[in-house]
Amino acid sequence: MSDTPLLALEGVNKVYRRGLLDREPAFQLRVDRAFMQSEIVGVMGPNGAGKTTLFEMIAGSNVPSEGRVMVAGQDMQRIRYLQRDRLAIHYHQSYQVRQFRKTRPSFTMEQAASAYPLVHLFDEPQFNTQDGYIGFMLDFFRKLRSEKRLVFICLHPTATFQLSILKEICERFLFVSGGTVTNYAHFDDLTSQSDVRQYLGVLAP
Amino acid sequence: MPLFEAKDLHLRFGDRVVLENISLAFEAGQLSGIMGPNGAGKTTCFNVLTGRYKPNRGQVLWQGDDITGKSPQDIARLGIARSFQLMNLFDEFTVFENIAIALPGTRRRGHDMIARAYADTALVDEAYSILEKVGLAGRADDEAKSLSYGARRALEIGVALACRPKLLFLDEPTAGLGSDGRARLADLILQLKGELTIVIIEHDMEFLFSLADEISVIHWGQVIACGAPAALKANPWVEASNLGRLN
Repeated sequence: MSDTPLLALEGVNKVYRRGLLDREPAFQLRVDRAFMQSEIVGVMGPNGAGKTTLFEMIAGSNVPSEGRVMVAGQDMQRIRYLQRDRLAIHYHQSYQVRQFRKTRPSFTMEQAASAYPLVHLFDEPQFNTQDGYIGFMLDFFRKLRSEKRLVFICLHPTATFQLSILKEICERFLFVSGGTVTNYAHFDDLTSQSDVRQYLGVLAP
Repeated sequence: MPLFEAKDLHLRFGDRVVLENISLAFEAGQLSGIMGPNGAGKTTCFNVLTGRYKPNRGQVLWQGDDITGKSPQDIARLGIARSFQLMNLFDEFTVFENIAIALPGTRRRGHDMIARAYADTALVDEAYSILEKVGLAGRADDEAKSLSYGARRALEIGVALACRPKLLFLDEPTAGLGSDGRARLADLILQLKGELTIVIIEHDMEFLFSLADEISVIHWGQVIACGAPAALKANPWVEASNLGRLN
């Protein structure tokens, strides 16, 4: 096993300020964490806390104000725009999301060292009880992990079965709230926290 | 060797990935299904298999020969016919004429092919045998535009059959059909099964589970599951969903 993490968020800080003159931060997200190996990570947190911003920074479509996002040792911001999804790919519901502010010509940048995405970010995948696709989606997440990929599933649970899905499939949880990202190794650790219970409301187990 | 095979298809539209590493194999004589939620990439995948789009990477193989990037016409000439989710028929022509135009014997005749098709008894017989098969023999002289939605579907399948295909692709054949129409269509497909190799794209799981020998599930432009209907249905989450409870 190599020492290079599959994904490293190195001193990442994202700040949105109120305006050009008013430099007061309107939004802030700090995260410093390395993911050494393939696993399935569940991400939860209140609206506006920065779940999607976190995914965008990992996929290289949002530039951190400070720090670096490294995928398999490559700095996402130095990779050619069209090749960034070979390292980390971001899906919102069914579709790939990407929007780059292109600040330099692609040919001056590095090439991605992978032909198939290493990090898969699923932002609010549609788990619909009516259509029966849930089981296939969960098996697919497991297949990606067995192929040494890192899988993130971001869900804003609105029904108990969605929590059951996260509990069944995720091996680690991130709770994004109050400008920070907190790591929990077990579902029960996550759901015993008072802020998480408050967020889950009536769904809290 | 599978009759038709796709290996590691990768397709981008501009800066977006629409198909990622899709591999599929269709065995001769089997009915294969491709299933997935809306926007999963099913029709796009069909369009690569039938030559409308050229993949950025990957191969399409017909009886082991590489046919990647061939035009839709060249692929059709190999004996691969398809129906469309949005139907393409000659509305002003009769049901018989729609079939007759598609017969290889008619196409060879050049100008004024319909008049000649009527005169050639072998062609008339062949057209009628196809109409019998799709249940439209009684409507042969009606204009295509007068047909109900379900009958138009059947006619479209008839047109595809008139090309004498070895492989028939059907894109969302149940779209717009009620339960009666679905049942009739399922009967027709079951009758064709075994005569030729069939691949159906379908959103309706129940319909596909009842017909297919093997199903590939597509989502996020990738094959997320693959297997026989019984194996796919055994998935506890599938069983727990409404579909599972219906069975």
